[in-house]
Amino acid sequence: MMNARFLIPFVAAAVGIAAAPARAADVAAGAAKAKEVCAACHGLDGNSANADYPRLAGQHRDYLAKVLRDYKSGTRKNPIMGGMTAALTRDDIENVAAYYSSLPPVVTARY
Amino acid sequence: MNPKTLRTLVAVAASCAVAPIAAHAQQAAPAGSPAEGAQKVQMCQGCHGIPGWRTAFPEVYSVPKIAGQHAAYIEKALHEYKTGERSHPSMRAIAASLSDKDIANLAAYYAQSGLAATVR
Repeated sequence: MMNARFLIPFVAAAVGIAAAPARAADVAAGAAKAKEVCAACHGLDGNSANADYPRLAGQHRDYLAKVLRDYKSGTRKNPIMGGMTAALTRDDIENVAAYYSSLPPVVTARY
Repeated sequence: MNPKTLRTLVAVAASCAVAPIAAHAQQAAPAGSPAEGAQKVQMCQGCHGIPGWRTAFPEVYSVPKIAGQHAAYIEKALHEYKTGERSHPSMRAIAASLSDKDIANLAAYYAQSGLAATVR
């Protein structure tokens, strides 16, 4: 029978890998990165004034992160977003997604 | 400065001054009818109308919230799905069945449903 102790590092590694996607995002770091990269078009509060740029405030966090990963990988193509996401790390993406999903959506458009 | 250069400069300056105003006016008047859009939302609600709903294919993630989104952005997204520029199996199939008018109406409906939610 295999020594159970021998398995400990492997089990720990497997748990670590499984837990990786669920790591806590840093909303404050996301705010700082958003101010630098996203705010010019999407607004710092995520309620973009320009109809060409989607509102992000209150959007699902996992959806925002998925979209950013897709732009970065080129799965979803957009010249602006492709460039913007190229410099974002995996942590940046999780943090920015957590930041914008935490904000209240405010609709200011007049019809 | 010769008159031709001057005329060009004036024309460039004038277009710079007018363009943002024109873009803004376009934004304020959506082409679609929210009431007509409301007749077509059945096909959207199965995914976009259920709180906490997640896609199962090709990847698991929360279906995006679209109420209160800019009409222009929703229209653009639907057209991109229709042409295949943007890929998602369900969204491509649904968008393919929509006319340009349907797309404008649905975009107007969802842009306005956000307004109603804010007023409440």
